[in-house]
Amino acid sequence: MPETQPLKWVVTANFTSEGGVAYLRADKSVTRVLAEAGRFATKADAEALRKLALGMEAILADPYLIEVAELPDGIDALSARERIRAAGPTIRVRRPDPRIHTH
Amino acid sequence: MRIIKDRKLVDDSFVHVADGEELPTYGDLIVSLDRYRELRAALHKRPGKVGVRLRSNQEAKLVADVAPELAVIAIEFPGFKDGRGYSTARLLRDRYGYKGEVRAVGDVLRDQLFYMERCGFNAFELKAGKDMEGAVNAFREYSVTYQAAADDPRPLFRRREQP
Amino acid sequence: MYQYDEYDQRIVEERAKQFEGQVERRFAGEITENEFKPLRLQNGLYMQLHAYMLRVAIPYGTLSSQQLRKLAHIARVYDKGYGHLTTRQNMQYNWPKLDDVPKILAELATVQMHAIQTSGNCVRNVTSDHFAGVARDELEDPRPWAELIRQWSTFHPEFAALPRKFKIAVSSTPDVDRAAVRFHDIGVRLVQNAAGVRGFEVLVGGGMGRTPLIAPVIAPFVAREDLLSYLEAVLRVYNLHGRRDNIYKARIKILVNALGVEAFAAQVDEEWAQIKDGPLKLSAQEIARVAKDFAPPAYQKLPAADALLSALKLGKDRELGRFVQNNTTLHKQPGYVAVTVSVKEKDTPPGDLTDHQMERVADLAERFGFGELRVTHTQNLVLPDVKVNDLPALHAELKSLGLATANANKLTDIIACPGLDYCALANARSIPVGMEIMQRFEDVDYQNDLGDISLKISGCINACGHHHVGNIGILGIDKQGEEYYQLMLGGSPGHDASIGETLGRAFPRGEIVDAVDTVLKRYLELRSSADDAFIDVVRRLGLTPFKEVLYPAPQQLQEAAHANH
Repeated sequence: MPETQPLKWVVTANFTSEGGVAYLRADKSVTRVLAEAGRFATKADAEALRKLALGMEAILADPYLIEVAELPDGIDALSARERIRAAGPTIRVRRPDPRIHTH
Repeated sequence: MRIIKDRKLVDDSFVHVADGEELPTYGDLIVSLDRYRELRAALHKRPGKVGVRLRSNQEAKLVADVAPELAVIAIEFPGFKDGRGYSTARLLRDRYGYKGEVRAVGDVLRDQLFYMERCGFNAFELKAGKDMEGAVNAFREYSVTYQAAADDPRPLFRRREQP
Repeated sequence: MYQYDEYDQRIVEERAKQFEGQVERRFAGEITENEFKPLRLQNGLYMQLHAYMLRVAIPYGTLSSQQLRKLAHIARVYDKGYGHLTTRQNMQYNWPKLDDVPKILAELATVQMHAIQTSGNCVRNVTSDHFAGVARDELEDPRPWAELIRQWSTFHPEFAALPRKFKIAVSSTPDVDRAAVRFHDIGVRLVQNAAGVRGFEVLVGGGMGRTPLIAPVIAPFVAREDLLSYLEAVLRVYNLHGRRDNIYKARIKILVNALGVEAFAAQVDEEWAQIKDGPLKLSAQEIARVAKDFAPPAYQKLPAADALLSALKLGKDRELGRFVQNNTTLHKQPGYVAVTVSVKEKDTPPGDLTDHQMERVADLAERFGFGELRVTHTQNLVLPDVKVNDLPALHAELKSLGLATANANKLTDIIACPGLDYCALANARSIPVGMEIMQRFEDVDYQNDLGDISLKISGCINACGHHHVGNIGILGIDKQGEEYYQLMLGGSPGHDASIGETLGRAFPRGEIVDAVDTVLKRYLELRSSADDAFIDVVRRLGLTPFKEVLYPAPQQLQEAAHANH
């Protein structure tokens, strides 16, 4: 079995208001962009931020940790699920939604 | 402690006495079914009313024989997902004709009250920290129900026929 | 179809109001997400990967044109302009905002619709045969019974927190089964006994998911007026005795299996005896009140058109001919057919309809019928009452909408769950695999040569895509964060119910469609004639001849190993 060493941990959740994907920055602010997420070398540090996110229930629902790899040209979620969560459905969604912005 | 009883907020006179815990010398109390069976005579001799608390896996038939001498039958809800207590209450009322207080205890939240009342509960120990005044409104969220239940033995189709 | 009276109407309006209050309390922090979750779920609202998903109930798949226009309106105003037909005959929206959901429910209530119990551990939307009421092969319209079950199960106070979700399907066809009754928690089959009296055969404990099982018959004949009390007895036994310690063993099928069919039936009978002659006994008046809403519409008296139908199938317009051949179903009423509107166009996700398509199909349901439609569990629509004479005109209209693919019951009439493109539970994507299959095998003549084949794709073990009962089933799995697909053969949801068997090791995303191609080519080699159906070949010859062509490597490895000795 190949060694899939989790390089970094990131805290993610969904926005309570419209369900969109959210990531926590290291300064506890919230972003929709995975590349802007706070990356933690230890699970314990990420867990501490997740605990904080649990207290932001009006904004965020169900925070949890994901594993990411840092690449020269960005950041890559280590599971198909989280890659699709970060990038959106891989099939054509007919109409762009003006309500959802990238920042 | 405040509870909701018959759709009103009231002060509750009963205390829950855990197994192994000493019985208070007087006052209304609620004990487990096992303890009740063990101390039945003594419990009825002491001053105060007696209630029994059923765990969610204890069925109505287990308490049916002694139900008439109980002021309260409390049914535990360990979490929202465990709905056995609904059937237990329904059977206590419909099958065993229990007329005393049926009380929901444990993880009891506002949005379950409507269902619970329909199944025959008339008293509710709401989960700590929840808005009890607001919860009382939950009983009035629906003015129509389809099923026969403990609160109305006629399903809607019979009420449609003979309003 | 059933028309709400003031009581039904008040219930859906009060539901919308109640949910509005629950959402307000969620935003105000009065209830936590964990407390809110069961509340939103009982209203069909999930949190998916990228957004909330709202599942709207379409009871037993029957829909009016007015309701479909409302669904289109909701798609346009509150979503991204489309909706998705589900394998439980419902419609899902993939992008609603939480604070819009109470508004959506209020809109739905204006057309006698709701999202009640489309999720959660309660009795879900009752399903039925999508040709109910018009199929030539049915005993009688089963939908009045489905509606009676809907009303009985709606906000049933005792069964709001069952060990697990609970699905009921109703059918009334003696020789076929289009409602998969054997794969439901309860399957209700309307039957006629030797004395000519109609009642219900009740099957309990079927299902798919982690433990696929075919439901055994628990009661061979329940009198019509006792249907609801019998169901109540089954549910009460389940509510009290179903397992709650392990989510994977909580469905009623596990209880039935653990107790054994006879012991389970005995428990139900004991409970039933106590309530059978109580207030749940259906009155003739109530049965008639509901049944009258399902009375046949004002059909024209037309001559039988079976000959015309045959002529259209073989006519010069081959596209029309193939459509009539594959997408029409015999009707009770002379001169009419039921038409399957294929929502399986090759370049769109299976079961997705745009707001525009919904509105236009609603128009067609009025122009070519009586304003009624059906949703099939195979994620298509049906226009139930089309005059055979109108088929050319209808076909032209459907074609302009991209809804005339002549593939009903053929290979590309794929069932696919939303999969990892949307679903928080999924392990792998379903829709892109389905679309690639639809593109690869687009040729209808090739599909007709293959004959009837069902291909069903699920993105995880929960089996929303019914992969266990596909003649060809595909199950997406996760291998260290990568998508893989298991291939299985031999499943069938119908009268000849069977559960598919896995062929062998899973295929990566890039190889699964080739593997399907290999299976199909092998079938063509193996069959004895064009009438030798795929499922029959699999049942007769087993998986071995398919494994031989799919997995040649182990043999070669063995040979290599021998050579080394």
